[in-house]
Amino acid sequence: MKILNIYRSEPDATTKKLVEIVTRDRESVEFDLNVDAPDYDKLVDEIFAADKTICWW
Amino acid sequence: MAKSLGIFVTNPDNFRHVEGIVKAAKAKGSNVKVFFTWDATHNAKKEAGFEALCNLADDVSICVDSYKNMGYDINDIPAGLDEKKMGTQAQHGIIIEDYDCYLSL
Amino acid sequence: MEYNKVCLMYRKKDSTVDGMRSALGLAVENMYAYGAVLDDVEMDKLNELNIESIEMLRDMEGDIFATSKGNQELNDLTPITIEELGEKLRDMTHIIPYGVIG
Repeated sequence: MKILNIYRSEPDATTKKLVEIVTRDRESVEFDLNVDAPDYDKLVDEIFAADKTICWW
Repeated sequence: MAKSLGIFVTNPDNFRHVEGIVKAAKAKGSNVKVFFTWDATHNAKKEAGFEALCNLADDVSICVDSYKNMGYDINDIPAGLDEKKMGTQAQHGIIIEDYDCYLSL
Repeated sequence: MEYNKVCLMYRKKDSTVDGMRSALGLAVENMYAYGAVLDDVEMDKLNELNIESIEMLRDMEGDIFATSKGNQELNDLTPITIEELGEKLRDMTHIIPYGVIG
């Protein structure tokens, strides 16, 4: 299973802990939305390529 | 054929991301549905690009109960929507059940 | 048929009750729906209508969890630790960090 973790803000300790457990022994990639100009084209490609997308706070 | 994409919007501060992702997904030929709930329904009245988003995406709806809770008159239907698009949480269920990819924002 | 399993997580007080309503909305659509109130939220006592909503959710094999003892005791929410929640999320088809952090 390939999981895409998207971050809308800097992940805090709670988010990091949950991501660590959810992605344990699984393929995962990350995308930072918390930037001035996110590459939405790349993000959509990654969403389509992932088995599951989680958009964290 | 591009996968379909359903977007569940719960954060009122993410409209630029909704716009950016819908534009990118439509450019790839995706069928895109967006549903706004709770205080993200403010986007329907306060974001200048909301009507254009409704025209670009294949299906845009908002939670009418949330809209009412945010202080709006449910007869004051936001530009870009019609009465049928003033929906319930069942719209979220459709996104989960019927779309290839799921995104919450 | 594989049923969807969905968990919404709440970290802001004023969107928590609405987020629970979202979970109930999915349960009536034949999904296993759960909500988790995280430590950031200090809830008020739920009203009768919201308590009934949680009971309906539990009747449909869903649940509302809380990580803080205060919320667990005040509103009879099911206790869970952040580690247990993480393990539960591994089994979900959809994971929804709801709204914003309060």
